[in-house]
Amino acid sequence: MDFKFTEEQELIRKNVREFCVKNVEPIAAEIDENSRHPAELFKKLSDGGWMGIPIPQEYGGAGADFLTSIIVVEELSRSCSSTGFTVSTHASIMCMMILLFGTEEQKKIYLIPMAEGKRLGAFCLTEPGAGTDVMAVTTTAVLDGNDYVISGTKTFTSNGPIAGTFIVFAWTDKSAGRKGMSTFIVPRETPGLRVGEHFKKMGLRSSQTSEIIFKDCRVPKNNLLGKEGAGLPMAMAGFDGGRVGIAAQCIGILQAALDESIRYSKERIQFGSPIARNQAIAWMIADMATELSAARFLTYHAAWLKDQKLPFSKEAAMAKLYASEAAMRHTVKAVQIHGGYGYCKGAKVERLMRDAKITEIYEGTSEAQRMVISGNVLR
Amino acid sequence: MRCRFVPTVIACFKWVVDEAYIRLRPSGDLDFSSVDYKIGEYDRNAIEAAVRSKEALGGKAIAVTVSMPEATKGVKDALSRGTDEAYFVADSSFGNLESSQTAFILAEVVRTRIQQYDLIICGEGSSDLYAQQVGPRLAEKLGIPCISFVQKFSITKGQLVAERRVEEGVEVITAPLPALVTVLPDINVPRIPGVKDTLMAGRKPTVKITKDELPPMGQPLLRTVSITASRMERSCEMFGTDAQEIARFVGSLRKRGVVG
Repeated sequence: MDFKFTEEQELIRKNVREFCVKNVEPIAAEIDENSRHPAELFKKLSDGGWMGIPIPQEYGGAGADFLTSIIVVEELSRSCSSTGFTVSTHASIMCMMILLFGTEEQKKIYLIPMAEGKRLGAFCLTEPGAGTDVMAVTTTAVLDGNDYVISGTKTFTSNGPIAGTFIVFAWTDKSAGRKGMSTFIVPRETPGLRVGEHFKKMGLRSSQTSEIIFKDCRVPKNNLLGKEGAGLPMAMAGFDGGRVGIAAQCIGILQAALDESIRYSKERIQFGSPIARNQAIAWMIADMATELSAARFLTYHAAWLKDQKLPFSKEAAMAKLYASEAAMRHTVKAVQIHGGYGYCKGAKVERLMRDAKITEIYEGTSEAQRMVISGNVLR
Repeated sequence: MRCRFVPTVIACFKWVVDEAYIRLRPSGDLDFSSVDYKIGEYDRNAIEAAVRSKEALGGKAIAVTVSMPEATKGVKDALSRGTDEAYFVADSSFGNLESSQTAFILAEVVRTRIQQYDLIICGEGSSDLYAQQVGPRLAEKLGIPCISFVQKFSITKGQLVAERRVEEGVEVITAPLPALVTVLPDINVPRIPGVKDTLMAGRKPTVKITKDELPPMGQPLLRTVSITASRMERSCEMFGTDAQEIARFVGSLRKRGVVG
């Protein structure tokens, strides 16, 4: 086994860390507080080629492997989880789906500007009545001449308020069951597409989330992504990559929680000595470091499997499940280590704890991950 | 028709221990057991200056380093920052070269391998030892003018104009090319390479030179006996600003042996 990163991956990690220290850390608390999408930061990310890392250069990306993109998401999330997530979901789900399933024409029209960071992507699957139960989706797409007419309401759409390109799941033949859902590329300007208000959330606040409402939204046949009726497996394939991205986001959160906890516990004097010398604190930090390491190996392994073009669905679910629950567990501990200071706005651990919670919910809840994992191992 | 000036600019850099990874043992000794390396801070300014010159005037930016064979990552780093090619002089004995030896090797490479050049840029000092020796010694060996403490420069055909930051102001100096400058961090803000830049770096040409291909260099004359971290001690004594208090302040410094 070889646990060594390539020299390029090590350099890219250092570069993205430097980028974060200069450009992300200084604004992370402010964009969280104001639920603001930092367009100026995303311009810099696009200029540096950070928005389409795993996409081939011929389609506007950087042409790196998936593991490299995971390293970048991890480092971005260490400074700002919202930023890491936005980059991750854009590249590992939206760009990747068009790369995997799009026609050459679709790649030229939609993928290139997305991979270059000129247009953000949004994934429209979840609906008010359809979360983990994707079969409960009610949005439909009816063929009318050379167009599909999409109607329905999507919710919790990440990047919704700022996206330029939407990947939308809708029934083309509900009676066909799992083979009746199809996927469409819908540009934001399409008449009949309306973006709802940005939801104010507990955490991940600068990531923009909204409803997307489709009312007689007409897209040409050419905007069908993949084959008609192939939507569900495509969504699942999108989720697999996306889950590794979420796991990377969790590693970033965990690393930040560990960094903050080590720093504070060495500085904070109680009873005449730093609190890090108390076994109660030292053991919390030991557990944090250990579970961070375990989460890292699960995540890198899942990313590596994807790069090797080997099955990685189970490993992606395992990485996401473990890393997200570890992130939640240990950000709570990090706040505990910081005491009252950690409970106040301005303490990074307070933001980390709020940001961690969503990772147990989106891209499939922890319960959904257990369904995927148990479904695999009980076969 | 006038010939356009397209300079060849060489940036020298040192692959140094990243101080963020150095740990302090309870004894005060430095622990280097899990360190990573980086291009020295001022050397990054030197590379950036060379690349900006190329971007403004055309021509070529060349990175040169003398280091351990493991420094391949440093060479890729320099290439990812926009240099066109690199000369990598590597040997496992090059971990602790003295400034005079490094300058000797660099001069040899510039004279015999690169040959045609207009400007050499070095960082004002290395990030680890900051001896400020290699640049001036290299210029001396090549017989070219050297301008140190440079915060800004421009080159035109045959001439360099450089601003030196000196204690009481700015000195503007001209020199014929080829010349060497050692630069301060004020000269620029080094870029952060993008993903593509890093991925493409390994595909750029690198000339690797081994110790055997060089003429013998002199023996080192200096020996580092030990390196320990400096300690700051606070005695929390407060002083006022009147004559009596100043006298007490001086007396306190004398008592501690800080001043004679």
